[in-house]
Amino acid sequence: MIKISDLTVHFGGVVALDNITVDIQDDIVGVIGPNGAGKTTLINVLSGFVLPDSGAIDVEGVDLLSLAPHRRARWGLARSFQKVQTADNLSVADNIWVSLDTSASIGMRKSAALNRVLEYVGLVDMANVPAAMLNPCQRRMTELARCLVASPRIVLLDEPGGGLSECEVDRLRYVIGNIKANFGAQVLLIDHDVELIRSVCSKTMVLDFGEIIAYGPTETVLQDENVKAAYLGTEIGT
Amino acid sequence: MILHLRRESRMYATFGFVAICILVLPLIIDSIWVKVLTSAAIFTLAAYGVSLLYSHLGLVNLSQVALVGAGGWIMLRLNYAADFPFEVNLLISAVITAFIGMVLALPAIRMKGLYLALITLMIAGGFQIILSAIQFPNGGSGFFGVALQSPGEMRRPVIAESDTAYLRYSIVIVVFGIMLAAAHKFSRPGRAWAMIRKSEANAMAAGVNVTFYKLWCFTLSGFLAGTAGGLLAGALKILDAKSFPAGESILLFALAIVGGVGHWMGAVIAGFLYRVLPAIFNNIGIDADLSLVIFGAALLHAIMTAPNGIAGQISTLFQAWGRQNK
Repeated sequence: MIKISDLTVHFGGVVALDNITVDIQDDIVGVIGPNGAGKTTLINVLSGFVLPDSGAIDVEGVDLLSLAPHRRARWGLARSFQKVQTADNLSVADNIWVSLDTSASIGMRKSAALNRVLEYVGLVDMANVPAAMLNPCQRRMTELARCLVASPRIVLLDEPGGGLSECEVDRLRYVIGNIKANFGAQVLLIDHDVELIRSVCSKTMVLDFGEIIAYGPTETVLQDENVKAAYLGTEIGT
Repeated sequence: MILHLRRESRMYATFGFVAICILVLPLIIDSIWVKVLTSAAIFTLAAYGVSLLYSHLGLVNLSQVALVGAGGWIMLRLNYAADFPFEVNLLISAVITAFIGMVLALPAIRMKGLYLALITLMIAGGFQIILSAIQFPNGGSGFFGVALQSPGEMRRPVIAESDTAYLRYSIVIVVFGIMLAAAHKFSRPGRAWAMIRKSEANAMAAGVNVTFYKLWCFTLSGFLAGTAGGLLAGALKILDAKSFPAGESILLFALAIVGGVGHWMGAVIAGFLYRVLPAIFNNIGIDADLSLVIFGAALLHAIMTAPNGIAGQISTLFQAWGRQNK
């Protein structure tokens, strides 16, 4: 469970997150909003790349803001980036090993964890292929596997569906949708693909200009007039 | 299978090269060339350290020759201060130099690219001044141990008293040093370095302690420089403070690029160009400074057309040749 209270982030004169308070309890929670709404900033604050001006984040009793980014990762916070970040000169398995290297479990369990996650994302045959040879979807899966392999507590995914074809998104839907059941982690998913959000997220949060304008069951939120207005704009005078 | 075979033949080629260097080469060259080749082998190790930092992390280190000087100073100091065997002194020199490299990297590590390069160059300049102020120990009294006329002698390893034996000995140490560094590539630090090189943020997000692994790479590079310095002290017996100006570090870095970073052969080529080419010119009566012109042209060539250096070009050549003969 992620408990965010009074979180504020400024970038110069821009208020990226404005006094956000929210309790996130569901297994998979979507975060949507127009460009510049503060979605990525929220993930950056959670993973430690942006320091907030004020506020607190409590995850399962741990004060997340007191930890350096790599310590948050070791504690069990995994994230992906909008742009896929696989090291091209490493094999798929070695890309995933980077996460295992920093986790505390013993060697035997590590290779078991590797095989399990490779099977889960469907890259068993590609384990020894250099990441440079992968297509964008396989790179994305490698990155997801790296996020999942060390049994994280929280997984933050920043637009994992970007640039993938319809059929690849189906695969992604399966992989994201079953994270809780297979790895036990809570997922926070940012994406512009409303269909993906609708199919995997039980609850959804909508950000606009750094504020939460709606938070609740996904279907209810997507029908909300304020949300539609934020995405599509409103007519002048109405 | 093909990949496997290729790896096997590459391994044979490596072993063959090392065997020729150790067994055959010392037999067919005369005493002047033994000295030149010893020095080339030693600088191969130092160049490999530079190449390590550049190929794994994209960091430019322009203070490697200064660190070689530091390693040499410590080696000479230990030689006259204590009766330890050569190997023990060499190890201590390497470890202390590695530590110096790490301490110097500590402030530098927050910089990248040109700024880091400038800082390391300033460090090299600092070493140049310090070394010319304190000179290298030659058996005199006091901590700095400098006497006008050397009253002592730099000892060599018991098994390698002669120049030829010392050449063999140096090559063996250099091979071990390169193997130690290359082993990192396929283990935890290598993976962490690759991730850092791709994106520091992503490495952090994967739990990698970015500062620690950058420092580790600097430390390892310093360890190789210290080993090279210790070996050089044994080879020349007397070191001259004038031989370690800051410019030499720039030259060594440039030659590491020309040779090809990230491959042992690139470092061998760098060591060869750095020490053997000027000697060849001297031998045939051409001004050795002409080699600098050639190095400049070679650097331009490497930057424009051969990002993997001469080593990369050779390996492409062999691959093409292998395909033709299939």
